[in-house]
Amino acid sequence: MADIKPKPRHPLAPAATALVLLALFALPQFVRNEYLLHLCIVSAIFVIIALGLNLIVGYVGQLSLAHAAFFALGAYVSALLFIKFKWSMWIGLPAAALITGIIAFALGWVILRVRGHRFVIITVAFAEIMKLVATNWIDVTRGFMGLPGLTIPALYIPGLGAIDLSSKERFYYVALTAAILTFWLCAKLVGSSIGRAFVLVRENEVLAESLGISAFRYCMIAFVAGAAMAGAAGSLYGHYVGFVSPDLFNFSYVTIMLIMVILGGKGTLIGPVLGAVIFTFLPELLREASHYRMVLFAAILILATMFMPRGIIFPLVEHLAPLLPRAWRKKP
Amino acid sequence: MADLAILGQHLLNGLLIGCAYALIAIGLTMIFGVMNIANFAHGEFYMIGGFATFYLVSLLKVNYFLALPLAVVIVVVLAIIIQQVIFKRLRDAPVMTTTLVTIGLSLLLEHLAHLLWGPQPQTIPNPFPTAPMSFAGIYTTPLYLFAMAITAALIVVGHVLIQRTRMGKAMRATFQNKEAAALVGIRIDSIYLYAFGFGAALAAAAGAVLGGFIPVEPTMGGVATLKAFVVVILGGMGSFVGAIVGGLLLGLAEGLGAGYMSSGWKDAIGFVAVILLLLFRPDGLFKRG
Amino acid sequence: MKIKFFATAVALALATFAGTAAAQETVKIGLVQPLTGPVAYDGNGYANTVKMLVEDVNAKGGVLGKKIELVVEDGACNPAQSVNAAEKLVTRDKVVALIGAFCSTSTAAMMEVARKHKVPHITAVSTAAQLTEQNNPYFFRAVATTPMLGEAFGGELPAAIKGKRFAFLVINDDWGRSMVASYPKNLEKAGGTVVATEFFQSSELQFLSLITKIKSSNPDAIVLAANSQHAAALSKQIRELGITVPLIGEGSWTSDSYFKLAGPAAEGVYGLVEYVYTIKNPINEAFVKMSRDKLKENPSKFSGAAHTAFNVMVDAIRRAGAADPEKIRAALTQTNYNGAVGNIRFNEKNQAYGQDVYLAIIKGTVPEVVKVAKISKP
Repeated sequence: MADIKPKPRHPLAPAATALVLLALFALPQFVRNEYLLHLCIVSAIFVIIALGLNLIVGYVGQLSLAHAAFFALGAYVSALLFIKFKWSMWIGLPAAALITGIIAFALGWVILRVRGHRFVIITVAFAEIMKLVATNWIDVTRGFMGLPGLTIPALYIPGLGAIDLSSKERFYYVALTAAILTFWLCAKLVGSSIGRAFVLVRENEVLAESLGISAFRYCMIAFVAGAAMAGAAGSLYGHYVGFVSPDLFNFSYVTIMLIMVILGGKGTLIGPVLGAVIFTFLPELLREASHYRMVLFAAILILATMFMPRGIIFPLVEHLAPLLPRAWRKKP
Repeated sequence: MADLAILGQHLLNGLLIGCAYALIAIGLTMIFGVMNIANFAHGEFYMIGGFATFYLVSLLKVNYFLALPLAVVIVVVLAIIIQQVIFKRLRDAPVMTTTLVTIGLSLLLEHLAHLLWGPQPQTIPNPFPTAPMSFAGIYTTPLYLFAMAITAALIVVGHVLIQRTRMGKAMRATFQNKEAAALVGIRIDSIYLYAFGFGAALAAAAGAVLGGFIPVEPTMGGVATLKAFVVVILGGMGSFVGAIVGGLLLGLAEGLGAGYMSSGWKDAIGFVAVILLLLFRPDGLFKRG
Repeated sequence: MKIKFFATAVALALATFAGTAAAQETVKIGLVQPLTGPVAYDGNGYANTVKMLVEDVNAKGGVLGKKIELVVEDGACNPAQSVNAAEKLVTRDKVVALIGAFCSTSTAAMMEVARKHKVPHITAVSTAAQLTEQNNPYFFRAVATTPMLGEAFGGELPAAIKGKRFAFLVINDDWGRSMVASYPKNLEKAGGTVVATEFFQSSELQFLSLITKIKSSNPDAIVLAANSQHAAALSKQIRELGITVPLIGEGSWTSDSYFKLAGPAAEGVYGLVEYVYTIKNPINEAFVKMSRDKLKENPSKFSGAAHTAFNVMVDAIRRAGAADPEKIRAALTQTNYNGAVGNIRFNEKNQAYGQDVYLAIIKGTVPEVVKVAKISKP
């Protein structure tokens, strides 16, 4: 059952957090290899996505297969604003998050009234429709020819001028900051009464309703928040890679996002973070043809879903890291 | 007059594809209805059915008409293994668990197919003459007609199996009320096995007969699964008749849509219909049965 | 026990050291091709040809006294993946030259990586016109563009098929759209008209509705832009729906893979190609022989492209005198190379000219060259 009273924080928590943050910010000083930095950036972006998906899948317990669509939508919004109006990522990112959130709100309003299999299939249908729009609305999206030429904007600081952020070390800081911000937001959300309501809705919807907690309302909050995060991540990704195309709507993205959340440990905060990092690095480290690696991942996904409901990564880490703040490790 | 011929052609094309949709969807809807599982790996049975036929005919030189049922048997064996090893343990598992497992299975089978058979699409060699036949300006080939005939026949056979045999009745009972069925002594595990195997068999058969003119390749399962889900929702989750009507309707709608509007958007027809239907008529066009 | 541990550690260290030491003695070339996905068959064919050519060059002493090390990554004809693959090759493997990525849209994405990291990038497959309009000094295109092919042969088509009404059935990407944007004016100059234009998605293998639509426009010939698996499915389904008019295709319509997949539907098909294995000159004949001996097949259009791209790049590396990306880039601009398809030079936009292109017709699974045209300086 859910924990209702917040637990006291471990005395070493602030120190451990500070240490981790320091290490993360100092990373580019030690890691000079461009390729590794590239992976770190992509990990950070997927941390944002995984944290968002985790709110929907892990906290309120709905299997949404539309998450990649929100990610791709955010990328397209940001790309189109850049190409049509020359608005940089600084505007594009919040706009992407906002517009994706609004679309998720409209979609959720309509579909969160059904649950179970039907909900899952509708999310799939929505994702496919979005993909078809991106592919066929050539006038706006250029279909499979995609939207090229996206750039990483400079940062204007009064007094210091424009700081170029397009190098990998510099962009790493942008992605890292976004990821930390997202983590903090999720932590606040999850630690609040909203978060407790999430858990109650997931564990026992009937009881929640009887206590006056509307499952629909809380599912909506999780759905919209998660989608907005995915949209923001999409904007970051689009500008970083420089190119946006309908392939971002592919089902393969949803699968890897699910793997990150589920195997990392859904319903916790650290789980998706670890899942995102590990499942960004792991495929790259396995240089063999992608099919061997996908067969392996698929097998792991099946086994983990069947036998390890708390994920693999997180419980493992839990045993090894007693210094983490207890709030981060709160079990569902 | 030529316009009528073109319309007729579009309708015939739509019917051909619709029969295939129906066949694949019947299996999916049975698995849904009896086992309460959304089988995202269903399209992979279709794909493996196609590849099995291809290798039986081209490598092992089996007669085409023998290879078709043989391929189906191979896929059924695979389905039985999957059922016993995986789904048996998940009998009362929640939606998220079973769905994730089928998604994983779909991935596994697709990439395994890539490893075993490579990415190249293969067309199944068949003994039918390739010259088209025409009546009233509408063209078809012996293979297309054969495919339609087989799918129609299988649909009828399936219907008879469900309605007339003891196993069929037991399946329908489980589907209506699992607890009650168990109470009267129906062995739920056996029913699950039959439903899963039956569903896989139909999908494999579709892959086997269509592979003669639609090339078989490892990623084709994904699209087939999506179409099957659309049909199942349209027809009602668990409704056999619904799957048939839904499949034919979707095939015709797509054929006409592609023919008279834009082909790029034809796939949207199904998905939009799904969303609308799930919101306003959650039980589909037909009631469960 | 401790001795064993240290011995192993030392051995491993030596091996790694030897490994990296050896690595420094090679000239690294990066190749991005679709090894998976809808055009995987042709992509793998291309990659295998390059591997064969690398072995051949290395057996003859390599280039600049060093062996060529080919690093291959899968772009899957997907822009994001191709970018990722190129990034890996440049940042992780430190290649001095890039070849790829097959599909025009993927090549367009990949050339930005080349520009950013200042590594020369060549393609001999991607024919969409705008690739050489991006002001990218690091990108070189060693093949005629689709509009160039249209200009070379578009005017000949009405006479060749003895008709005026043309329908276009092309793939929905940069390449297909490039064809639709450029061919009609050449057709019209020779008295032809366009009666229908349809696009198909890359993921599609069933075209009955599209073909029926084309049929209703009553064309005298259908012009297509498609590669092996699409080409085969299209030709078969077109014939199965009772359409008997000639098919004219840009893409892999003269390759063995197409003949195998399409069967009798391949007979009489016209191919608008930048390479065909029946070309008669010593360089091509040697290449065809090597391909038959080592890969047991006649070179497809893409194998021919691989031959051109690879040899132009190696020729440039030799003239550059060093495995330095900037020098190689400069050397590429001065290319004056004679290969299987004739003489190749680059104009100021790094677009190749001077080579031959071919209109071929398939007779009994042999592509016979009907007309040859030379690409003039654009």
